[in-house]
Amino acid sequence: MAEEVILKVEKLNKAFGGLKATNNISYKMTTGEISAIIGPNGAGKSTFFNLLTGYHSVDSGNIFFKGINITNWPPYRITRLGIARAFQVSNIYPRLTTYENVRQAILSQQKKTLDFFTPAHRLAKKETQELLEITGLSQQSDITAGNLSQGDKKRLELAIALGSKPDLVFLDEPTAGMSGEETHETMELVKRLNEEIGLTILFTEHDMSVVFGYARRLTVLHQGTVIAEGTPEEVRTNEEAQRVYLGEET
Amino acid sequence: MRRYGWFLGLIFILALILPQVLGEFWVHVAVEILILGIFAVSFNMIFGYMGQLSFGHAAYYGVGAYITGMLMVKASVPLPICLALSMIGAGICALIIGYFCVRLTGIYFAILTMAFGQLIYYIIFKWYSFTRGDDGLQGIIAPPLLFSANAYYYFTLLIAAAALIVMWFISESPFGYTMRAIRDNADRTRFIGINVRKYMLINFVVAGMFAGLAGALWGPFNRSIAPDLCNWHQSGTPVFMTVIGGPFGFLGPMIGSVIYTFLMAFVTGFTEYWPLTIGLVIIFVVLFLPGGVLGFFESRMKGFRSNASKPEETIP
Repeated sequence: MAEEVILKVEKLNKAFGGLKATNNISYKMTTGEISAIIGPNGAGKSTFFNLLTGYHSVDSGNIFFKGINITNWPPYRITRLGIARAFQVSNIYPRLTTYENVRQAILSQQKKTLDFFTPAHRLAKKETQELLEITGLSQQSDITAGNLSQGDKKRLELAIALGSKPDLVFLDEPTAGMSGEETHETMELVKRLNEEIGLTILFTEHDMSVVFGYARRLTVLHQGTVIAEGTPEEVRTNEEAQRVYLGEET
Repeated sequence: MRRYGWFLGLIFILALILPQVLGEFWVHVAVEILILGIFAVSFNMIFGYMGQLSFGHAAYYGVGAYITGMLMVKASVPLPICLALSMIGAGICALIIGYFCVRLTGIYFAILTMAFGQLIYYIIFKWYSFTRGDDGLQGIIAPPLLFSANAYYYFTLLIAAAALIVMWFISESPFGYTMRAIRDNADRTRFIGINVRKYMLINFVVAGMFAGLAGALWGPFNRSIAPDLCNWHQSGTPVFMTVIGGPFGFLGPMIGSVIYTFLMAFVTGFTEYWPLTIGLVIIFVVLFLPGGVLGFFESRMKGFRSNASKPEETIP
C-alpha cells in the first residue's frame, strides 16, 4: 500500500492560562499505522487528543485529516469524518445496557438517530452483536453499563469508539485499570483491527511493555513538546527520552 | 413495557367504561387527569429522557391554550384545526426559547426556561387589547357534539391515547435513545458524531408541541382560560406529577397525574389545606419512593420475578 498521509498536524499550540499544554507540535500519520505517544503525566498527551478531536479549541496551528482542514471543527463533525476516540477514564452511558451503549454508536454512524418512529430494538441488531462479540462483551450485553467491572467498562469504551466505524482511532490508555490478562486480550484485539481492517491507531499508554510490544512508532512528549520520535528501538536508545521518562521505569 | 400491553389494554377498557359508572364531577376530574397527564408526559421528555429540568413548561401549555381559545372565541375555528394550530404555535414558541435554553444545562437550564416562561406569562398578562390580560378569555365552548361531559371525556381520551402512543414511539426510537444517551453522557455523545445541541432543541420543540396540545384541550373543557395557565405554579405541576409517578418509566408522569389530580379533587372537597397535603405526599415520595410510584412497583415486580432471565425492561 502506498504511504498515504491520513493525519497531518502542523505547529499545534494550546495554552491554559500560562501553561503551554502543547508547544508547536507537528505530527504525521500514514494510513494503517499503529503508533503510540508516551510521556510523563501532564506531558500533554490527553490535551493533544482533545485538540485533534475538537474537544478543546486550538490556539494556533492546523490539523488535516484525509487532506481536509478540520482545525476547530466541533467533535461531532470530526467523528462523522472518521476519527473516533476511546477515553482514558471510561466514558460510557451508565444507565443504558451494554448492548444499548454499542447500538447507540452504531445508530449514530448509520445516521439513523433522527428516526422517530422505528423501534430502536429492531435496528442495527447484527452490527451490534458483531461488535460485542469482537470486543468480548457478548456475555454482558444485558447488563446496565454502570454496573460493569472496570475492565469491561474499558472494553465497552473501545467498542463505542469502534461503533463509529472510524478510519483513525485514538486510544487514551486503553488498558488502564485492566488485569494483565485483559490488557493482553485488548491489545491483541487492537493489533488485529490494525492488521485485518487496516484501522489507523494512535494510543497512549503508561505500561512500557504494551508500548514497546505493539507500537511501530513512538513519539515522546515532555511539557507539551516532542522530544523524540522514531521506532521503539530508536526511542529506547534516545538519551533525552531516557532522561525524562524511560529512566524512571528502571 | 411491551410485556404490559394487556395491562394497558385493560386500563383503556376501564377508561372507556368509567363515565358510565361515575358522576359528572368525577368525569370532569378524569378529563383533567388526561389533559395534565399529556402535559406531564411531555415535560418528562425533557426531564426524564433528556436529563434537564424545564421549569417553564407551562409557557407552551398556556400558548396552546390561548391559540385554541382565541381562535374559537374570535374566529369560530373548528376544534380539531385549533388543536393542530396550537401544537404548531407552541412548537414555534419552544423553538425560539429552546434555541437559547439548550446552550445551558443543569440549574442554568432550569432558571432560563423559567425566566422565558415568566416572559410569556407577562406578555399574555399585559397585552390586554389582544389577550384581555388578567380578565382571561371566557366562552370557549366545545362544539355541540362534544358539549356533554361524557362526550368531551371520550374526545380527550382519544386524543390523549394518540398523543401517548406517539410519544411512546418517539421514546423507543433511535431519537429517544439518543436523548437517553445525551442525558447519561452528553460529552460522549458528541464523540459518536451527534450534534447534541441540535438534538436537544428538536426534543425541546416536540415536548413543547405536546404541552401545547394539552393546553389546547383545557380551554373547551374549562370554558375559560386565564394567564395563570402560563405561570410558574403551572410549570411546577408536571414536576410534582413526575416526581410522584416516577421519571424513569414512560407512564410515570401519567400515574403521577392520576394521583395528584384525584387527590386534589378529593382533598379540596373537605379542606383548604391542599398545598399542605401535596407537600406531605411529595416529602413521603422523595424520602421513601425515590423512583416514584412506578419505580416502586417495578422494583417490587422484579423481586417477584427474580428468576426471570432478562433484567427489567429498559430504564430510560
